[in-house]
This record gives sequence, C-alpha cells and structure tokens, in this order.
Amino acid sequence: MAVNWLARLAAAAPAPVFTCIGPGIQAAVERLCLSPALDRVATPRAAAILLVAGEIPDHAQEALDRVHDQVPHPRQTFRWDGTGDPEPALRDLWRDLAAGGDTETDRRPDAPPNDWCGVGPHGQGGKGMMGGTPYGRPMAMTADDPRDGLALDAYTARLGPFVPMLPPGLVLEVTLQGDVIVSAEVRAAPFAQPDDASAPDFCAARMLRLVGLPRDADRVARGARLRAITALRAIPEGLGRHDGQDARGRLAGWLAGERGPEAAPALATLLPGLEWSEAMLVINSFSPATLAHVAISKEDA
Amino acid sequence: MTLVLVSAASIVLALGLSFLLMAPRHDAGTSAPMAAPFLGGGTPDTHAWQRFHFRAYTMTLVFIAFEMEMMFMYPWAVVFVEEGVKALAEMGMFLGILSVGILYGWREGVFRWQ
Amino acid sequence: MILLLALALVVTLLGGVLVGGWLDRVVAGRGAGPLRAAAALAVRGSVRTEAPDDLLQRLAPILYLALAAVGLSVVPFAPGAALVESPVGIVIWGSCEALTIIAVFLHGWSPNAPFPLIGAYRYVAIALPVMLPSMFVLIAAALPAESLSLSAIVESQRDIWNVVRQPLGLPLFVMVGLTLTLRGPMDYADAADMAGGTSAEEGGGARLAWEIARLAMLVSVSAVAAAVFLGGPLGPVLPGPVWLWFKTAAVMALIVLAGTSVTRTTPSRMLGLIWTIVLPLSFLHLGIAGVLAL
Repeated sequence: MAVNWLARLAAAAPAPVFTCIGPGIQAAVERLCLSPALDRVATPRAAAILLVAGEIPDHAQEALDRVHDQVPHPRQTFRWDGTGDPEPALRDLWRDLAAGGDTETDRRPDAPPNDWCGVGPHGQGGKGMMGGTPYGRPMAMTADDPRDGLALDAYTARLGPFVPMLPPGLVLEVTLQGDVIVSAEVRAAPFAQPDDASAPDFCAARMLRLVGLPRDADRVARGARLRAITALRAIPEGLGRHDGQDARGRLAGWLAGERGPEAAPALATLLPGLEWSEAMLVINSFSPATLAHVAISKEDA
Repeated sequence: MTLVLVSAASIVLALGLSFLLMAPRHDAGTSAPMAAPFLGGGTPDTHAWQRFHFRAYTMTLVFIAFEMEMMFMYPWAVVFVEEGVKALAEMGMFLGILSVGILYGWREGVFRWQ
Repeated sequence: MILLLALALVVTLLGGVLVGGWLDRVVAGRGAGPLRAAAALAVRGSVRTEAPDDLLQRLAPILYLALAAVGLSVVPFAPGAALVESPVGIVIWGSCEALTIIAVFLHGWSPNAPFPLIGAYRYVAIALPVMLPSMFVLIAAALPAESLSLSAIVESQRDIWNVVRQPLGLPLFVMVGLTLTLRGPMDYADAADMAGGTSAEEGGGARLAWEIARLAMLVSVSAVAAAVFLGGPLGPVLPGPVWLWFKTAAVMALIVLAGTSVTRTTPSRMLGLIWTIVLPLSFLHLGIAGVLAL
C-alpha cells in the first residue's frame, strides 16, 4: 500500500510539535525540543501534536483551546509535567497520527466570532468599502499614524499567551499600522519561570532564533559558542534602550555569560513606534525573570 | 515559441503537483475555531485584509526610475564593446545622475520605514 | 534534442530539490532525510483559513515553481544548448526573478491572516530593490559576451571565469539567491519573528508544495549563477551537463551556508543598506567590468 509506505516514511521524520508552555517549565521544554526527534514548529498549522507543558492557569485556558482547535486533523494533545522523558511517548503518538490515527474534536463552539450581518454580493455590508461584518468579522477602519500621518487602516489584535516568539503567558494587545506598532498594552504577564529559564545561554538562543540563526541558537542553548557572523551588529544600535543598555548590549551580555537587567521594562511605552521585528527583538532581549514583573496595563476606561 | 511551450508545460506540471499535494486529506472540514487566524491563542478585532500601511512606499518611486534605466541598459550591454569608451562614458553619466538621486533620496529619508 | 533538454531540465529540478532538501537539513544540524521530512508534510492536511483567497492560495506555489522551471530553461546544459536558446536569456531570467516577488506576495496575502500579510508586504519592500543589483550583475556579465544570451555568456568564459574577472558578482548574486529563496539574512517573508510569516497559516501538503517551489528556485538561481560566474557546462573530460550539475550544487551549498551563518537585520535597516551600500557596490562592479571588457 502506497499510503502505508508514506506513513512509515513520515513516522521516521521528527514529530511536528507545537508547544504551549505553562508556568515553571519553559527551560525544560526548550531543552526537550533540542532533541532531533522533535520538530518544534512555529505554528499549530504545521503541527500534529499539541504539547501542553505544565499546569496552564485558568485565565489562559480559553486561549489554549483556541490554539488546540487550530491544529489540523488528525491531532492529539500531549500533557507533560516536566518529569521523565516524554520523547518515546511523543514518537509513538506521531507514528499513530502519521498513519491517520484518532483525532480530537474542537473544544470551542463552531460559530463565527460575531453575527454575520453581511449584505451585498460578498457579504461586505456597510457602505462601499466601510463597515459590515463579512464572515463574522468586521473590516479594519482607518486611524491616525504616528510616523508619517497617513491615515490608513489600523489592525488591533491580542497576541498570546502561546505565540512562539513571545514569552509564554504574555498577552499583548497591539494595534498595528502596516507593520509598525501604534500601541501595545500588556493584558497578562508572562507565566513565572524559575531561574533556569533566564540562563544566559537560553536567553541568547531565543534571540538568535528571531534573527534567522536556528542552528546557532541550538548550539548556544547546548552551551557551545556562536559561529554566525554579524550576530550583534545586525541588531540596530540603541534599540530598546532600558537601564542604559540596548537590545544589542543585552545580547552581548548573554553571549558573554552575564545575566540581564532585573528591572522590568514598561513595554507599553517601549514598543509603540517600533516596527514588528524590532519589537520582537526588544521583547526577547529581556529574560523571563525580568518580564515576569512587567506592569499590566489597565483596561481602557 | 519554445519559451511559450516551456512556460505552459511548467505551469501544467506545477498545477499537477499542487493537485497531488494539496488535495484535502481529512473529511471533518474546517470549523470556525480552526479557521480563525493564528495569534497564539489571541483574537483579532478585524479581518487581516486592510488598506495596509506599506512603509517603503517612497522607495518604490526611486525604484521605478531605476527599472526604466534598466531597460536602456539591455541594448547598451550588447553594443558596449563595439562602442567602446563612448558607451562607458554615457552610462557613467547616467549612473552618476542616478547616484546623485540616491544621495538626495537618502538625505530626505526616502529609504526609511516611513 | 529539445526533448532531451526538457528531460535534462526536469531531472535537474528534481535532483536539485532533493539535494537542496538534504543540504538544508544537514547544514541546519537536523540530520539528513529530506524525503522523510517531505512525507511528514504530505500525510498531514492543510487548513482553510477564515475567508481566504482560495484561488491565489493555490496559485502562489504553482507560480513560484513554474518560474523556477522557466528560469532554468535559459541555462545551457552544454555549450550553446539551452532548452530556450534565447538571445535575451538574462531578460527572461530577470522577469522570472521579478515575478517571484508576486508569487511570495500572493502566498502571504491569500490566507487573510496577520502574520502572512505582514510577511508579504515586508518581503516586497526588500525584494524589489534587490532586483536592481541582480540585473546590474547580470548586465556586467553580458558586457564581455556582447550578448544577453546565457549561452554567449558561458562562451565568453572559455579563457577565464567571470568569478575571477568580476569578483564582486558572485557575492552580490548570492544575496539575490537568498532573497529569491527566502533564506537566512534575506528571509523577510517566512521569518521566525512572525511565526513563519507567509507560511504561518499553512501546514501539510500546501506547505510541502511551497517548500518544493522554494527549493526549485534555489536550484534555478544556483544554475544561473553557475552559468554566469563559473562557466556553466564548460570543463575538461566530463560532459557539459555534469559540470553544470557540479557547479550548481556548489553554488547551492554556498547559498544554504550563507543562509544559516549570516544574521538577519531589521527590514527597515536592510532597506537602507541595499540602497546605500549594495546598490553603489553593484555600480562599482559594473564600472570595473566595463573597463575590463574594453
């Protein structure tokens, strides 16, 4: 059978895992994902297994369900409490899924996010290009821009708590104009992680992954030296200045084995005006221990 | 003629491959929670499609100037050796003027993320 | 003859995609096994996102792959024997390069989701200006050949390869290759800081089609570089196609290595770097090539 043959071949590949990391277990998960038997994918769309590590707090439960429902069928959730070696179990799970094994049903109700009051041939509703909620979601509307004053569409969304390039637990409500952040509010602080998650090697590895150096990130996380060139100079000088040190300085410190600053940054004032990849670099230039104390923005009155 | 044939054949082959690979695999279909855009558990207020603020728009105008220049360069490259120093001087002047344009644009911040 | 060349093209693309997939995994330190990785995608389904542009979503990888094939067709497998033996070969390749930007943009546009959309626009901003050094480099190679045909450019390298005569050319073209194949320092489309950018909403077979198209473009851009800078099929003893394959594989390895060992900077900064450093460098390159060609 051709399909069996394909499934066997697939089962020999690393298991595609999307990780949802809870409190206190970040370093363990990152260490686990260095294994060549696992492929830590950046999006649930590319995953077959949802690895839920640690106890996810109640306030993040709904978000976890949302990510769970975004994994394509057939899918399985794997819970790990940080003890023992889950690799054999994950491999077995992946072998079943590659052969088209059992799946899990949706946890969220199958309904559009809003009532679909679309009219017109494409359900666009409203007048012309404005208004309406086609397919149950409104269209973006114009707003002022901080950089050049062109009033184009603003896009507001809540990111996290399980965005792979943000610390687990952090929920940011951002408004974007194009790829520039207009405003950022912290809705939930990152989950508390013990000191091992803030080890310089691990912090540096997270930042290296962002700038397109996954191989070097793996090396550094294993305690080896950085090989890539221009790793520091690629980060713009003066970016994310906090306590007299910029993002580049903090990465240099980690690569030299020093721990980062302890005083938590005010993300709500640090991020606006930054372009997307600058913002991601700034957030990841703080260790989980530092970010755990980040100030929660008050809900808008 | 061959180019047309090759292009058509390439597209047909690519189409075939895409039908082979992108065929739906699971009968369950796509539910509303599965279709929602990935934001790591977060939710968006609106659709992602928008009048996107493309930050490099000033650069694109300079780019058009260079693309037009490229059109002159194709025939120039063919006769370059024949025409000798004259062709070199002409293109030198042309590129010189465009370089001044780059300098001016750079001073005006054209290449920044607006 | 044409059928033979068409066969050579298909074999080159297929073999090249395999070699490229293998190189990728070995260099990334993830072990070998491109077929296993492909199978792992092939057995998985893909998701239809919220109100997507289905037609363009399907078209993006098709266009990308077809452009790679058409681009490869102007590369001669033996002296004077390309599938499309055109007097304006580098113009055809140049248009394949430029249309690649559209393929990538459509890929990011079609899912109607934030990360792919940002990746798409960001990529356009960087890839557009990269087309300029690319064409300057190719035109510089056309000067000593007195022709825009790739066969003539290969022929002009009988005595000395362009990589020696025009030393800035290959490094600049590697940068173009990184851009066209969405790799490392020039990967502004599918980057990790956006959870995979234009691919963030894609898994399974659709993702596999996209990855195959990316690798096919890597093969094409490397074959063009091999023909323009390394004398393409020219070489002693072995037949032309074998030389071209060796040289193409070498350029592929170079691009893959550059992709994993050079750091990506922020897009706003890269835009300035391209216009103020890379573009003047390509002017200089053209000037030197012009003076030497006389």
